[in-house]
Amino acid sequence: MADGQDPAGADGFTGPDGAPVGAASAVRPFLLTQGRVAGYASGSAIPLETQVVATTAGIDALDRLTLERHDIIAACRLPQSVAEIAAKLRLHLNVVRVLAEDLRAEGQLTVHVPRPGAARDASVLRKIIDGLRAIPDSRGVLRDSD
Amino acid sequence: MTPTEPATRPAAVPAAAVRPPLPVKLVVAGGFGVGKTTTVGSISEIEPLTTEAAITEVAAGVDDLTHTPRKSTTTVAMDFGCLTIDPTLKLYLFGTPGQDRFGFMWDDLVEGAVGALVIVDTRRLDDCYAAVDYFEHKEIPFAVAANAFDGTVEHTLDEVRWALDVAEEVPVVVFDARERGSVRDALLVVLELALARTEA
Repeated sequence: MADGQDPAGADGFTGPDGAPVGAASAVRPFLLTQGRVAGYASGSAIPLETQVVATTAGIDALDRLTLERHDIIAACRLPQSVAEIAAKLRLHLNVVRVLAEDLRAEGQLTVHVPRPGAARDASVLRKIIDGLRAIPDSRGVLRDSD
Repeated sequence: MTPTEPATRPAAVPAAAVRPPLPVKLVVAGGFGVGKTTTVGSISEIEPLTTEAAITEVAAGVDDLTHTPRKSTTTVAMDFGCLTIDPTLKLYLFGTPGQDRFGFMWDDLVEGAVGALVIVDTRRLDDCYAAVDYFEHKEIPFAVAANAFDGTVEHTLDEVRWALDVAEEVPVVVFDARERGSVRDALLVVLELALARTEA
């Protein structure tokens, strides 16, 4: 295998290229969320693939937002998953979950939780299967659609 | 917000003109170094990203006299990628953090997943037992994919199936994590199994 080791890393602090991941921050996650934990109140945190998009109001408020809130809105001009936001901003996933909920409550972000049962929806599964079959392999050969 | 602003806010309007796609998640699991990130990277439209997530570790309680599993929350790095199927649908591939000495609880990561691909290195089959047990227990559709390091696998698929003792309906395939077409076909095996379950 090219990478020779599991990039998830035994220490959990290095990415595929050996660069520090997230852990570079000396600020504890709970300080960023004022001690709150994702999903604590509602009983379940939003799934990590949940899509978030900045609202027009959020973009307008960019100048007034600071730190992580500013960065999240700036990164969400196009729909993104909370996992992508966390990775790109090097924030703990649960920090993004909590702050996304705050920004949603303030009208600066829309949060699109995937509808429950989508993964068991035959029409969704067929669309993914058809989409995957349309992907050529490295030699440009399509899979037979039997 | 200043006191002079109106008490009622306009409804939140997404800045992006397009509706976000429906995200569908597929989990790529397996022990350390089996090629999870290579698999994600071979088919993802973005360079695999890494994020920190919290998982609950259940320590193997060999010296635990109370028989209560010791649980602790650990922050682990998780690699993922994605693939746009069409403007309304996006497939996310999440590589579960490799945990070969612990049991684990991935519920937070796996909730709502369409299915899972459990990657095995046939030289170290026992590394994937935990993942196989987990998905069986959770009744999540999964396939076992032996990564053909150097183009070969050390055991036949029948031997792998026997060693893992997986149910007959669980597909066991050989694939090459470095080849996009091979990864695509392995994912299709999982999705076709998931589809068959909806029709059962």
